[in-house]
Amino acid sequence: MPKIFINNKEITVDAGATVLDAANQVGIHIPTLCHYEGKAPIGACRVCLVEVEGAKTLLASCSTPVAEGMKIHTNNHRVREARRTVVELLLSEHESSCQYCTRSNDCELKAIASHLGIEDIHYKGEKPEAHIDDSTPALVRDSSKCIKCRRCVTVCGEVQGVGALFPQKRGYKTMIGPAFAMDLAHVACVQCGQCAAICPVGAIREKNDIDKVWAALEDKTKHVVVQTAPAIRAALGECFGYPPGTLVTGKMVTALRRVGFHAVFDTNFTADLTIIEEGTELLMRLKNALVEKQSVALPMFTSCSPGWIKFAEYYYPEFLPNLSSCKSPQQMFGAVAKTYYAAKKNIKPEDMVVVSIMPCTAKKFEAERPEMNSSGVQDVDFVLTTRELGFMIESAGIDFKTLEDGEMDSPLGISTGAADIFANTGGVMEAALRTVYEIVTGREFPAADLRLAPVEGLKGIKDASLVIKGAVPEWSFLENVEVRVAVAHGLSNAKRLLESIKEGKAQYHFIEIMTCPGGCIGGGGQPRYTNDSVRMARINAIYKEDAGKKLRKSHANPQVKALYDDFLKKPLGEKSHHLLHTHYKEREKV
Amino acid sequence: MALSRIASLQDLDKVKKEVLAEQTKNASKKQILLCSGAGCIASGSLRLKKALEEKIKEEKLDVEVVGTGCLGPCAQGPVIVINPDQTFYEDLKPEDARDIVDEHLRKGKPVERLAPRDIKDNKPVLKQGDMDFFKKQIKIVLRNCGRIDPLKIGDYIAQDGYQALAKALTSMTPEEVIKQVKKSGLRGRGGAGFSTGLKWELTRVAPGDVKYAICNADEGDPGAFMDRSVLEGDPHSVLEGMVIAAYAIGASRGFVYVRAEYPLAVSRLTKAIEHARESGLLGTNILGSGFNFDLEIRMGSGAFVCGEETALMRSIEGKRGEPRPRPPFPAQKGLWDKPSLLNNVETYANIPVILFKGADWYASYGTAASKGTKVFALAGAIKNTGLVEVPIGTPLGELIYDIGGGIKGGKKYKAAQIGGPSGGCIPKEYLNVPLDYKTLEELGAIMGSGGLIVMDEDSCMVDVARFFLDFVQDESCGKCVPCRVGTKRMLEILERICAGQGEEGDVEKLVRLGLQIKETSLCGLGQTAPNPVLSTIRHFRKEYDQHIREGHCEAGVCPSLVRASCQTACPAGVDVPGFVSLVGEKRYAEALKLHRERNPFAAVCARVCFHTCEDKCRRATLDDSVSIRGIKRFMVDQEVVIQVPEVRHNEQNAARKIAIVGAGPAGLSCAYFLARLGYRPTVFEAEPRPGGMLVQTIPAYRLPRETLAREIRMIEQLGVTIETNKRLGKDFTLQEFRDKKYDAIFVGIGAPESFGLGLMGEDADGVVMALPFLREYNIRGSVPVGKKVVVVGGGNAAIDAARTALRLGAEIVTVLYRRSQEEMPAYAEEVREAIYEGIKLMPLTHPVEILKTAGGKVSGVRCMTMKLGDYDRSGRRSPTADGADQFTLEADQVIGAIGQTLQAGKLFELKDAEIKMTQNKFIYADSVTGQTSVPGIFAGGDAASGPWSVVAAIGAGERAAVGIDQFLTGEEHAFWREEKVVDTDFDPDVDPVPYPRESVRSIAVEKRKHNFDEVELSWNENVAQRQAKRCLRCDYGKTVTRRGHK
Repeated sequence: MPKIFINNKEITVDAGATVLDAANQVGIHIPTLCHYEGKAPIGACRVCLVEVEGAKTLLASCSTPVAEGMKIHTNNHRVREARRTVVELLLSEHESSCQYCTRSNDCELKAIASHLGIEDIHYKGEKPEAHIDDSTPALVRDSSKCIKCRRCVTVCGEVQGVGALFPQKRGYKTMIGPAFAMDLAHVACVQCGQCAAICPVGAIREKNDIDKVWAALEDKTKHVVVQTAPAIRAALGECFGYPPGTLVTGKMVTALRRVGFHAVFDTNFTADLTIIEEGTELLMRLKNALVEKQSVALPMFTSCSPGWIKFAEYYYPEFLPNLSSCKSPQQMFGAVAKTYYAAKKNIKPEDMVVVSIMPCTAKKFEAERPEMNSSGVQDVDFVLTTRELGFMIESAGIDFKTLEDGEMDSPLGISTGAADIFANTGGVMEAALRTVYEIVTGREFPAADLRLAPVEGLKGIKDASLVIKGAVPEWSFLENVEVRVAVAHGLSNAKRLLESIKEGKAQYHFIEIMTCPGGCIGGGGQPRYTNDSVRMARINAIYKEDAGKKLRKSHANPQVKALYDDFLKKPLGEKSHHLLHTHYKEREKV
Repeated sequence: MALSRIASLQDLDKVKKEVLAEQTKNASKKQILLCSGAGCIASGSLRLKKALEEKIKEEKLDVEVVGTGCLGPCAQGPVIVINPDQTFYEDLKPEDARDIVDEHLRKGKPVERLAPRDIKDNKPVLKQGDMDFFKKQIKIVLRNCGRIDPLKIGDYIAQDGYQALAKALTSMTPEEVIKQVKKSGLRGRGGAGFSTGLKWELTRVAPGDVKYAICNADEGDPGAFMDRSVLEGDPHSVLEGMVIAAYAIGASRGFVYVRAEYPLAVSRLTKAIEHARESGLLGTNILGSGFNFDLEIRMGSGAFVCGEETALMRSIEGKRGEPRPRPPFPAQKGLWDKPSLLNNVETYANIPVILFKGADWYASYGTAASKGTKVFALAGAIKNTGLVEVPIGTPLGELIYDIGGGIKGGKKYKAAQIGGPSGGCIPKEYLNVPLDYKTLEELGAIMGSGGLIVMDEDSCMVDVARFFLDFVQDESCGKCVPCRVGTKRMLEILERICAGQGEEGDVEKLVRLGLQIKETSLCGLGQTAPNPVLSTIRHFRKEYDQHIREGHCEAGVCPSLVRASCQTACPAGVDVPGFVSLVGEKRYAEALKLHRERNPFAAVCARVCFHTCEDKCRRATLDDSVSIRGIKRFMVDQEVVIQVPEVRHNEQNAARKIAIVGAGPAGLSCAYFLARLGYRPTVFEAEPRPGGMLVQTIPAYRLPRETLAREIRMIEQLGVTIETNKRLGKDFTLQEFRDKKYDAIFVGIGAPESFGLGLMGEDADGVVMALPFLREYNIRGSVPVGKKVVVVGGGNAAIDAARTALRLGAEIVTVLYRRSQEEMPAYAEEVREAIYEGIKLMPLTHPVEILKTAGGKVSGVRCMTMKLGDYDRSGRRSPTADGADQFTLEADQVIGAIGQTLQAGKLFELKDAEIKMTQNKFIYADSVTGQTSVPGIFAGGDAASGPWSVVAAIGAGERAAVGIDQFLTGEEHAFWREEKVVDTDFDPDVDPVPYPRESVRSIAVEKRKHNFDEVELSWNENVAQRQAKRCLRCDYGKTVTRRGHK
């Protein structure tokens, strides 16, 4: 444990820590713009410079490891001048339309400029040519605001393993974007939006659909319903100053009503429905494989996460048959709302508008997939991110913090705890096992509190196995079978898992994959800034929600039962097939 | 032919013996070594090779033509060496093959016309070893370049190739190898100069099974081609170095990262790798030692930043070549995160020799702190551009003058950019500094990889800084903010300055931002990118200020500031192409009028001007400069009645009281321009006749008195009053003028005092100073002159005094000058005429003592012969007295002419203010307005600048006139500064006329030696017309920012 001096104060820090870590440890804030937690230092922004006695130049604290006896100054004239110069240079390059930038409230560059007391830019000059890429339904990139910090490059390449964004050209002409300066829509981008979530400024953001929703709400001929994904309730509070991990389900429901939605429903409802369909699908595949001895694509992968689906379509088409054919809960909701619910309310599907609140930008893309129109029209009309909803509530003049709690509407607002945990990595697996185990054995899933610890948490790839004992006669072929499951979150982890399966190093029956680190609670549409401690706080909140539910198993959801009784008849039945299932296609990478 | 496998040291020795035996057998046979470096190939060496081989075949001779690597003097290519006689031929054409074969090979007669010439006596130098270019070099890295066939591994082995590897593998541990390299003191030759041995050791001790040895051959500095030439000329030396390095660090795989733009280097290296592999010198179980190592070539697509080691490694990995933060250093985590060693080509090429001959041998070259030799690529305005290798610590001047042959085209050295875009420039003041790591860094440059671009007076240093910054801005990887944005902002400021849009404070801004970029950038590229700017500001701040404040680009480079380089070069800003083209159309009166817009003394300057315009004439790049002064002389001779220029009458100005002190060229032109604005200044002159130096010291044979008087009368006609015999300090003081409420005062009193000789015996009767001597003759009409006159000094005053003495009856006139003739500050044509007239010039001679008779009269001068020593701060070799011979010259008069000064003393005393003086004790005056530190008092000419030229004084007078007007009215009214549209015909599509430059004619020596008749003659009209038509009209279609304006 080396002893070092920060601003003349002696402290002891972990060996291997960086100066930035060390400073944080003693409560000294060093500003940074390119630092990316857990990844090799980028070293691009030069804002975190500190003076280390004896060094020729200033050093970037993010990439400088501590050494015994190191004397560090984080706030002397030399350091302040350098940081100011660097930030002034950035501002001279940046299109500073702060008054009307979507990031004006949480722009990291603006905050740092203000902390450094910058009042004037001494070095003015030509700004780079602006290019606005709004080619995808999910994301908008504005090169004039890009500060080339490369966090997006890191997240896209290293965290997601997609690598759709690169630095290109050189010198002042350097730009970040898809290869050959193409637009995002024309490259293998999965539209997960992690780039938008990590961007320190307004250079990458979700495509704003708020005005379309306002227009629908004001259209008297439309019945506008809203569904909220499980992950929203654990994060929306952050838009209003609540600490990460604050559950705001009730306030959210009230706010949505105040905003003017005619019915406030829950994606959780179709999450429960997904478990029924997907669980049945898994059992059928196992049966076909083990009993009928057919060649069946196993392991089966979950299909809730549209970024993952698109990733598989681009990079692993050979695994497409392994993907569950179940639509994601969002799309099941759209299909059910515009058929089952519409019929009940006697509304024509075309007069109904389904709005989704999602933690995800890829959901915007998913809603526009041409096959997602089982109701005869586009099943989900508009998708807003958590951030967009927060903005919408605020701009509607609603004082979120003072709202009383509300309840979701029936029937599509009723859900179980199993649906809540769809929000986090491992959750879909747990929810599926709660139901499948009970179907196969007739007994409740034996894990403590219905939770399977090995698939929880932020480890990139997790797995577990359980041996089936005491199967009911219908599933007796599973007796003594060791069911192996795996969970991966973050697409680079998914990639590693798929590679090891391809190489035959790993064998599983069922695999949950979520696009974003931590699962949907860490989605690209969630409030900024998301790091591991924020992820854990949100996950803990989700489990709290689960624990607080009376019903915690999807098959126990009475409204789902009613849906089958009244409408769908049976899992994997013809109606289900038509409304709840889909297919996938290989995509050209460029 | 399949290569035999070399599986042991014995095998290696066997091959060596075989090749040597073969070579010995052929030792007496003639052999032609033909440079096949990329430079010579570009100038046609392959065609020459074909021609030689055909001719040899035709003559049925048994002579082999061997293509070798670079021999060095690339500018003279194609070059060959004929062995065994070691005859060197240069600048060859295929047609020369006949003479070479017929004369040299068959008859054994060297072809003198193809041999290089000695710089000093212009005699042919036939032997390679006798050439200055080769004599002063020590070739360690380039030991085999130009001597062996790079495509033959046997040739390399015969030169002790792979012996060091054998030694290392068979008798040394890796640690011992590293110890030797450390002991040799070798530092990385790629730029940063990190200790090579230490780098090896760090990689050796880094934990890891897989390690890599990498060679950086991504040479990217503009003008640098050391690495290319080594790879082309001696690829095995690099391979051997790499295998040794791999053994030392424990690597079994390596890469050579080489520019794709070096196809010849790549193909020769590829061949070398194949041969080494085939021979067993690469691959498994090398030389039976059990050590395995193989390598491959990776081609980079020419990104400068890939010279940075982490970027280079990323590029090898197939990623975008971009640096990453260090630590971790490549020694710990390099290529694919494995410990990796990166050295450049030159570093590796040193290794085999170090191991073979020993670290002590290597360390015997160089300086205490920097060992060995360094290869430099000489480029730019130098005669022998090419590749040279010298011991570290060799003075820059030696490299440039002795090896490089000096500056091309008789121009003056201005600076050398060392270290490429990361380096800095070294001005003439530091020509004597040793080229070593520390010294260069202290001067703001770096050793870098060895690119050395020489710049002459035609380089604008602001433009040079702009060029390099433009380069790094283009090549920046764009990752870190200071390098990406900071260098862009600096570039924008520089572009503005070059475009005449500079602002006060820009230089300070550049310095501040430059220092910040150095301090904050991620990698070496950014950390050094501002160096060219900071270094040019440090050494050439004046040029920045000229661009910003005066809109003037002295070198005549920046297009927005330069209409024609001749005009820019003229201190008075005369529209040279304008008047020359008007003369070309026989419109003499218009031409003269245009001239006098900026310079009233057209007829004076037609005789005495030192014509910097001609030095900058672009026609010189075609054949020879236009004889502008000759044209001017013809033009002024056509004037019958003197013209009066435009005068703008102004009652307010006429009422203002302006005193001008000194009726020299500065004072009179200040008066002239003020008068044209309607002022009516009074000029006070100490001597009985106006004209200053023009009348007091310039002899009448150069400037007839009536010519001068006519132009002074013209000035008087404009409303200027000249009061003679009014001496400052005696008849009036500046304070009195202030008391008498003069609105403005201009001080143009010149530098009228002479420096004493400082010699023993100086008090002898018969010792005089040149200025009083000339003044006395020119003003009073007579002066005592001896029979044997010795003049001491090398300036114009010395030559004027010598020629005057000769005309006044001296029998022998000798001029002593302590430096060489080329370095005399006197105008070369004056020196030449003086010698014609019989004056004896003794350069490199220094007076030691003035001898006197018992009566105290001068009897002689004891002198000593000087030698040229080290370069001094003026950029010239300073004469030294080392082992000098002493001798005595008889003399009865000694005239001292070693410099002029201004003894201000009490002249400038004011009641309530102090006139600031410069370091050299002249008056400080603002370069734009001429104002001194005291508002309302202006100065110009020699009194402010120190002794300089007539036309510079005229320019200073004009600036001060504009400054005074601005001071008094708050505005500028200098209407003559508007560029006039000259409507002469010019067709840019027509080829330039072929007429040569004509020199100015003079009367025969016998007719002029004993009188003061004007020596120079005017041309006839035809000559003048032809000469005027030679002008290339660089001004055509151009308008520029008005000088002195923005």
